[in-house]
Amino acid sequence: MPIEVDGKSLEVDEEGYLANLNDWVPGVAEVMSKEDDLELTDEHWDIINFLREYYEEYQIAPAVRVLTKAVGKRMGKDKGNSKYLYGLFPYGPGKQACRYAGLPKPTGCV
Amino acid sequence: MKYAIQINEGPYQHQATDSAYHFAKAALDKGHEISRVFLYHDGVNNSTRITSPPQDDRHIVNRWAELAEAHNLDMVVCVAAAQRRGIVDDGEAERNGKDATNIHPAFRISGLGQLIEAAIESDRLMVFGD
Amino acid sequence: MSDIKKFMYVNRRAPYGTVYALESLEVVLIGAAFDQDVSLAFIGDGVYQLKSDQDSSEADQKNFSPIYQALGDYDVTKLYVEKESMEERGLSLDDLMPLTYEDEDDDWAEKDSIRVVTRDEMKELMEQQDVLFNF
Repeated sequence: MPIEVDGKSLEVDEEGYLANLNDWVPGVAEVMSKEDDLELTDEHWDIINFLREYYEEYQIAPAVRVLTKAVGKRMGKDKGNSKYLYGLFPYGPGKQACRYAGLPKPTGCV
Repeated sequence: MKYAIQINEGPYQHQATDSAYHFAKAALDKGHEISRVFLYHDGVNNSTRITSPPQDDRHIVNRWAELAEAHNLDMVVCVAAAQRRGIVDDGEAERNGKDATNIHPAFRISGLGQLIEAAIESDRLMVFGD
Repeated sequence: MSDIKKFMYVNRRAPYGTVYALESLEVVLIGAAFDQDVSLAFIGDGVYQLKSDQDSSEADQKNFSPIYQALGDYDVTKLYVEKESMEERGLSLDDLMPLTYEDEDDDWAEKDSIRVVTRDEMKELMEQQDVLFNF
């Protein structure tokens, strides 16, 4: 079932991840979060933008442990913990935030 | 001795899985333990139940399944490698919207952590491949 | 799971020609969560995996070489590259991507992850390992 973003219909997979990563625009995160009844704040966007930058630079989504460490370093120790990240993204930063940020679906490893 | 086995190549194309099978059998016959068999790279293709080799050839998949049944072996297929190559169980079919499954019930799909864990917990990791 | 084991991932193949290099990285990234003593070895054509300025677009494959630069974040900080393998291929350290990590025990000082070792030294390193993963 495609999602409607900025008047365009974008294809997503069974779990709601973008089928084509190049389709991503900020509106994707807005539409997806609305479906989850979540209102995106600046704090959410800090994480989403961080994930996009990380992916752009390293071509992988960071493991939650790596994300936590990097967020703590960049945004302050009080934010560098999984409690903070799960507070923002209750379905898990690895899954939910990556989906909003238009990163590839995690393979389900570990 | 407690062995873990990693198989990196597919059936029939390459001898790796045959060697691994004979190694596992010999080790079990000698009273050693096989803690896990982990299929990686093209090795995941050793787990499809729809393989049909000619009658005068060995049936690699069924042979593994029989050995697993007889010795209660934990046969694990890497999920990331399986997704690339179209090895599918019920869970993966649902997760990725596929209309069929092909995994043999003797095998289970799981993560790479299972390989690391097997390497940590066994005395030797044996890697079969090129 | 009491003792820490010495894990070495041995990379022997060029990137892109086969999937081994990419799928080896996937094991390394997952394995990094298990707190073992991890190192990577690059021998033979495996040294090409670390070549700088990779461009795989004409082959229609994802350029995964940036992932090596993330290894420091995953506390994978020992990448041994065999000197003879580089020389046999006309490569030197200057041809490889600079890879660094931040040393937590040294006030986050940035340090090089790549260590060039001779074939004899590589042999010794391998002998010290508990587990060798071959890719």
